[in-house]
Amino acid sequence: MPLLEGNNLCKTYRMGRVDVPVLRNASISVNAGEWVAVLGSSGSGKSTLLHLLGGLDRPDADSGTLMFDGELVSGLGAGALNRYRNRKVGFVFQFYHLLPELAVLDNAMLPAMIGRSPFSLFTRGSKRKRALELLDAFGLSHRLTHRPNELSGGERQRVAIARALVNDPEVLLADEPTGNLDAKTGGEILDVVRALHVKGLTIVMVTHDPAIAAQADRRVALVDGAIADQPGQSRR
Amino acid sequence: MYQTLLVVRYLTSRIIPLIAVAAVALCVTLVIVVVSVMTGFLDMLRNSGRTLVGDVIVSLEIIGIPYYDELIADIEKLPGTTAAAPVVETFGLLRMPYGVGGGSRIEMLQVWGIDPARLQRVVDFKHTVYWKAPDDALGKTLRDDDPRLNPAYDALDSAMNMRTPSGQSGIVTGMEISPFNHRQTDGSYRVGTASNGPWDMKHWMPSLTATLTLVPVTEGGSIQKGERKRTFAIVNEFQTGVFQFDSNRVLAPLADVQELLGLAPSEQTDPDPRHVDADGNPRVLGTAPGRATTILVRAKPGVDPRELREAVQAACADFLDRKRADPEVQALRVSVPRYVDVKTWEERLKNLIGPVEKERSLMRALFSLIYLVCAGLVLAIFWAIVGEKTRDIGILRSVGASRVGILSIFLTYGLVIGVVGSIVGFGLAWLVVDHINEIHTAMGKPPPAITWFAAFGLATGSLAAAILSATRGSVLYSLLWTIATVLLAGLGALFLFLRDQGGFTIWDPRVYYFSTIPNQIDLGNALLTMAFATLFSVIGAAVPAAKAADTDPVRSLRYE
Repeated sequence: MPLLEGNNLCKTYRMGRVDVPVLRNASISVNAGEWVAVLGSSGSGKSTLLHLLGGLDRPDADSGTLMFDGELVSGLGAGALNRYRNRKVGFVFQFYHLLPELAVLDNAMLPAMIGRSPFSLFTRGSKRKRALELLDAFGLSHRLTHRPNELSGGERQRVAIARALVNDPEVLLADEPTGNLDAKTGGEILDVVRALHVKGLTIVMVTHDPAIAAQADRRVALVDGAIADQPGQSRR
Repeated sequence: MYQTLLVVRYLTSRIIPLIAVAAVALCVTLVIVVVSVMTGFLDMLRNSGRTLVGDVIVSLEIIGIPYYDELIADIEKLPGTTAAAPVVETFGLLRMPYGVGGGSRIEMLQVWGIDPARLQRVVDFKHTVYWKAPDDALGKTLRDDDPRLNPAYDALDSAMNMRTPSGQSGIVTGMEISPFNHRQTDGSYRVGTASNGPWDMKHWMPSLTATLTLVPVTEGGSIQKGERKRTFAIVNEFQTGVFQFDSNRVLAPLADVQELLGLAPSEQTDPDPRHVDADGNPRVLGTAPGRATTILVRAKPGVDPRELREAVQAACADFLDRKRADPEVQALRVSVPRYVDVKTWEERLKNLIGPVEKERSLMRALFSLIYLVCAGLVLAIFWAIVGEKTRDIGILRSVGASRVGILSIFLTYGLVIGVVGSIVGFGLAWLVVDHINEIHTAMGKPPPAITWFAAFGLATGSLAAAILSATRGSVLYSLLWTIATVLLAGLGALFLFLRDQGGFTIWDPRVYYFSTIPNQIDLGNALLTMAFATLFSVIGAAVPAAKAADTDPVRSLRYE
């Protein structure tokens, strides 16, 4: 059974008076531990697909389903969807999207703080420890108190990845994670992603770069909102 | 919680929330200062009024209360009473020793016939007497040329005896009656022809005489035959602190006023023409008692005047019933009233205090509109903040924050802005109110040359900075420097204007009749103001907070 499965997903946005269909019956399945790259040009709907897979947006009514580990996600209420985004998936964006007023450690701990339960007194220490572990693993131990504007692009993206992983999600959803970085730094980020994949993390990465997509287990092409093909078997 | 962390970070890392805090603080300061001063002013007026009429007033106008000394004895036996004193209140004409071309002028005044020694037990009459040797505290505040420092102008004894040293009956006039008494900014008076002219003690009232004319009126409203007038020496003047009293009242000896009004003890004759003596004169029944129109009562400390009023009312009812039933009183054919009017000092002075209370309530209501301004300012500032934070909201939603969580961030932000702004506002208000008289005194003096010189100097500097910024192509900085130039130049012009005017007096004691501005914070009102400011700050933040909660995370993250 796939870990993450989207069937016939449609998404239409209203631009002024015009309805613009962005996704048309897009279907995708991702197995546990798999690294799937979604290829497509600008405006093809790849970010929209990622947002639907991550529960950040909902598909059009009566237009398809999203399943996570066998459970229907697309029909969840607002609270359950918030918890899905907080604990099951982790987002990494092209422009990092760190909170500028928070230091590196606080940014990394943000999902943990949001998902804190009433009994958080007992879990706070462990979440902080997890954040420190991740930041140390990404070579950021010396930057814990720095603000995002004091970091390089590569450092910011590594903080973003740490944030995405602090609650130990099962899926990492990355939207053009190297799109705003130079080739060398982008390569370093891909190294981080690859290392996570080796450890068994399920990854769905959106990219327009075939060279980056080639490093994934499987590539899926998205053309004008529809899945064109699902070339290649998984390497795993 | 992440909300608290974000609120603290937002508050401490940007300037725009400081603008919101400043807006709330200024609103709070304004309301607290205005209401505190108004409340203080009202309290000063009430205290002044209370010290003039005692706590409870018994009155029966025109005909007066017979056997008033017996009634006073009954009242003084009440557990809540300290003392009581008789007064005869009426209106009269006083021909004063001044006028156009050196003649005289007639003033229509309220006349109080008093016994100073008995009155002193109820109200602090001695304190209101103006021409007396000052005590140590007052003496330190007097100017060197104040005549009160000269023993020759100490006329306290004459005021307390209502007689000149040579034995002539005397009156005490209100300080504001004579046009030659000019009130100064420190509350003292200068005697002369001009407010800032030289002293001219030939216009010193206690050296002159005046003629009092009273018109006695019968119980039926008829004017008794013959006008009654008497010439008195003006033995002193009084200053109560209440303009209406100081400008419209004269104090005269009780016995003289009773005589002039036909209220003094007198021979009572039989009105029946058939009852005559051997010489054909009306039969003498006896001596009718003297009458007083008013009895002032002072309560013991801690006694509520309203409770004392009830007790006095009961005592008066008993007294009048007793007298009506008394065969000797009936034989004398003395008219004993069925009731007398008994009021507390507040009820008596409601025409004086009532308008000021209404004014304070109106000020409170009007200045409460400030809260709406506060809410509007916070709303506008928060609308801008939420607009700026749209991407942050999208980020928070992407990592699992709920709409309620987003809402609570901005509501908490509004609450913190309100609380911090209120505390700062209270601090500013306390500083202003505590030093309001020093501020007012400083404003009343011409500003030193350094002030306008510095203002114009800084204006010149900022003008140069504005030109420099313009040449470098910075529209923002050249505009800011231009605004600074205009403000500084305006400030310099204001200082020059104030120097020419000799300062700026807002609270002129010659107009408002109190020499100091009240300088106590009304703490209850201050706390209420702070609570409302905080509430309206949260209300102002509510709409932007809801807008933030409704923000579509996808749209906010879509574009950089």
